[in-house]
Amino acid sequence: MKTNYLFPNRFKKIGWLLFIPGIILGIVYLIYQSDISLFNIKVFAIAEEAIFSDNTFFSVSENNILDEITSILLIIGALLIAFSKEKSEDEFISIIRLKSLVWATYVNYAILIFAIIFIYDMTFFWVLVFNMFTLLVFFLVRFNWALYKSKKQISDEE
Amino acid sequence: MKNSIKVERAKKNITQAQLAELVKVSRQTINAIELGKYNLSTILALKIAHVFNQSVHDVFELEESDWES
Repeated sequence: MKTNYLFPNRFKKIGWLLFIPGIILGIVYLIYQSDISLFNIKVFAIAEEAIFSDNTFFSVSENNILDEITSILLIIGALLIAFSKEKSEDEFISIIRLKSLVWATYVNYAILIFAIIFIYDMTFFWVLVFNMFTLLVFFLVRFNWALYKSKKQISDEE
Repeated sequence: MKNSIKVERAKKNITQAQLAELVKVSRQTINAIELGKYNLSTILALKIAHVFNQSVHDVFELEESDWES
């Protein structure tokens, strides 16, 4: 069975090279937020609604792009790590991949539903920010744990 | 589904790793099949039977429980 929509194995390394800087910038962002003026540039916005002002569409405005860079690094990095083929990607590993993806989706939305009910205002905003990345992170943890377990089973047999 | 891969491997004197190599899957896959933890594809069943010079029915056998949904 061919596994579709996966990247070649070598893209996994590229994924890590994007994801790790993404995590570092993410920590920097959590500490300094939009205070680093180096990242203030003019951006083209399809839609923008600043606090205390009206909606504007198709405008150019100044924005601190640290969070944009961080998000893109994290998302593309995690996608490449998650969906690059394993060295020996075969039908059994495809099943583990599918199960892990289903599991991660359930866990991700279970946590989100919990947050919808019990977490409010700006704290909920931060939940949404983290939720952009958690599906992929939960998948990565579960998938690699399952792979590790099936490899460990072999060494236990010997 | 029961299988006699372990027995057939012993007869042919090949390891899980060697069988995996011959049918182009990972070693985890052969191990999971032998332990009955994974129901393999038809193509892989045919390949494994081919390696042992057997028919699929000689290597793989249905169990009663396979008829329960």
